[in-house]
Amino acid sequence: MSKKVAIVLLVGLSIVMLLAIAELPIYGCANTPVQNYVAERYISGALSDTGALNMVASIVIDYRAYDTLIETTVLFTSIIAVFLVLKKGKD
Amino acid sequence: MGEFLQRLLQNYPYVFAAILFGIGTFTVLTHSNLLKKVIGINIMEGSTYLFFVAAGNIRGGVAPIQDMSDPNLVYVNPLPQALMLTGIVVSVSVTALSLALIMRLYKLYGTVDSREINRIRNEVRASGSSSKG
Repeated sequence: MSKKVAIVLLVGLSIVMLLAIAELPIYGCANTPVQNYVAERYISGALSDTGALNMVASIVIDYRAYDTLIETTVLFTSIIAVFLVLKKGKD
Repeated sequence: MGEFLQRLLQNYPYVFAAILFGIGTFTVLTHSNLLKKVIGINIMEGSTYLFFVAAGNIRGGVAPIQDMSDPNLVYVNPLPQALMLTGIVVSVSVTALSLALIMRLYKLYGTVDSREINRIRNEVRASGSSSKG
């Protein structure tokens, strides 16, 4: 793709992104939609639910353990694919 | 217009994430070197990590590790950070697979430039059809 076409695409993309960023809730505020009851539940209940001091670790290992399990499957699949691609064969 | 710029200034981490995303997209679109394309993809992934972790931040908050000595601490949102851990693993998988494919291409064609590879392929195809005819 030529540089001019890429620059035109990027200007359009950045205009859309900046318009969206101006509509986002203000950075660093405590009462944005991101800080809803889910985060409150994790912060208040992590120690009693999982016994972990680190809330990120309690989410990764305990609350969302299936996510982490399937994530290891993703990693495993990519490693298998890497070995298949780099296998020394006839061709 | 002034209000628009003020909102952008207040949301400066998101603007930085957008700039990083633009740099990554530009790298992927314009460079013909495949390794540089992989670097561009990684820059785009880094911008999404910045965006997510910034979205979970609270001004004056501390890292989400339980501190028993002070019950009035404000913790930042731990959920985006946990999600981005998952994202990092996916990005490592994608990078590993693409680098393996590039190694294979380099062994076959002796170059990592996508335009060169296309040229060599076209030449091989043309010579193959002429030798048959």
